[in-house]
Amino acid sequence: MEEQDQMQSSIEVEELEEQQQREGKRLEEENVVRFLDSLDSYVTLLDSLSSTLRQGWLELASARQSMGASRINGALLDLKFHSAATSLQVTHHDDEILNQPHFTLCKWASSKNGYGDEKLRENKLQTNSDGPQLRHRSQFAEKIPETKGAPLIVDDQVQKERTKSLSMFGTLVSPKLRAAQLSFETALETLVEIANVRLTMLSTSDQVRKELEGTEG
Amino acid sequence: MYGFEALTFNVHAGYLEAIVRGHRAGLLTAADYNNLCQCETLDDIKMHLSATEYGPYLQNEPSPLHTTTIVEKCTLKLVEDYKHMLCQATEPLSTFLEYITYGHMIDNVVLIVTGTLHERDVQELLEKCHPLGMFDSIATLAVAQNMRELYRLVLVDTPLAPYFSECITSEDLDDMNIEIMRNTLYKAYLEDFYRFCQKLGGATAEIMSDLLSFEADRRAVNISINSIGTELTRDDRKKLYSNFGLLHPYGHEELAVCEDIDQVRGVMEKYPPYQSIFSKLSYGESQMLDKAFYEEEVKRLCLAFEQQFHYGVFFAYMRLREQEIRNLMWISECVAQNQKSRVHDSVVFIF
Repeated sequence: MEEQDQMQSSIEVEELEEQQQREGKRLEEENVVRFLDSLDSYVTLLDSLSSTLRQGWLELASARQSMGASRINGALLDLKFHSAATSLQVTHHDDEILNQPHFTLCKWASSKNGYGDEKLRENKLQTNSDGPQLRHRSQFAEKIPETKGAPLIVDDQVQKERTKSLSMFGTLVSPKLRAAQLSFETALETLVEIANVRLTMLSTSDQVRKELEGTEG
Repeated sequence: MYGFEALTFNVHAGYLEAIVRGHRAGLLTAADYNNLCQCETLDDIKMHLSATEYGPYLQNEPSPLHTTTIVEKCTLKLVEDYKHMLCQATEPLSTFLEYITYGHMIDNVVLIVTGTLHERDVQELLEKCHPLGMFDSIATLAVAQNMRELYRLVLVDTPLAPYFSECITSEDLDDMNIEIMRNTLYKAYLEDFYRFCQKLGGATAEIMSDLLSFEADRRAVNISINSIGTELTRDDRKKLYSNFGLLHPYGHEELAVCEDIDQVRGVMEKYPPYQSIFSKLSYGESQMLDKAFYEEEVKRLCLAFEQQFHYGVFFAYMRLREQEIRNLMWISECVAQNQKSRVHDSVVFIF
């Protein structure tokens, strides 16, 4: 009777060990897949950043061609002290798996109001503004009809910040310069994504290496 | 009705017309552009340009070259040609030649004022000014706080003084006021140039009317497109349009209320000379509009050389050289950025 109990318990222990081994292997495979996914995302984002920057530089050259070299040159950049329109926030996750910081881009944010990148991803540039800021000289009271086609979401504050940052080149700038601005803005978002993906990649790489070392040991 | 220019023109301006026609023959051809578009580096561009009239200006430039260096040296060629013609010219041709540079003068004034507002060093700004638009007291512009001081301290003794009457205020200079000042000055300059050419009469008046009207119309379109989505109101936009040109006055009324590029297109397509320009663009697109306008301008400038005994050839030559320099700037940028596939986006062939 005692022998049977001992055999039963040893079988149960063996089964438990096998289950733990299977679980361990599953976790290893998950980490490897996660590492490969993050590596793939990293390479894709690098490629995307490269092409976005190339597009931005060419659009800037095109704007210079259109507006003239005297209107687009480094001598016009504003050296006066002003608060940053865009900032980077670093938060730390308490996740057991991914115990790593996370970067969030806060675009076109004044010191009082912040716009997280999630909200800003919903905003797209619209050629018609439905509420331009009133100037001290004269009033603009007419309503502008909506454009045809798919409706576009406009953030008036973001549009004003974009226009303000371009104002160092003049108030009436070419659409090519606005396009260049958007390209560099997209490149900045991509850079932050690359930083986050790189952190994930390095973290999962460490985990995979530890598991491999543990297996070999 | 022409005033028998053939009898008297060559007495005072025959030599210079021959000079400017000789300069025209030195403009780059399509074969030159094809060679330049195949260059791999900026040094290759310098090598190809060494066989052109730009050769002496670039030969001493050390490697590695920068795109701005190529543009600066090529501009020197234009400036030398201009100064030679100006010092040989008598009235009224000398005044006509001076008028050609007032646009650059306005650009330089705005550059200095804007840069000063942004707390940039005046010497740095002066280096960026166009050489054709320089005048003696230009550095003093950095002292002015508002437009009234700008006028009183500096511009009252310059050829731009008469153009300031419409924009003298005591308001402080800010980005919007500077932009309005730029466009108001340019509008006044174009109108004054137009009146001067009309006074000259004959073939000069006829040819320059066409060229300046096209310039005024193009400015109106660019102002309309660039002001879409900005704080500029419709009334202020309309005030920046010139009081002549094919679009004046009905086209201007319609352009003032346009809210997107398609509405601008709708207005311009009512005018037959501009239908061909906008027919090259797809709906909602404005990227190729500049090139289309430049191509039309080049066509009209080349036609100016088909007639003799008028001053339009001098204006046409200066503008064609400027277009050539723009072409060289674009080609250099595409080569420097390794984007040769895009080189034909903005190059406008002259011949």
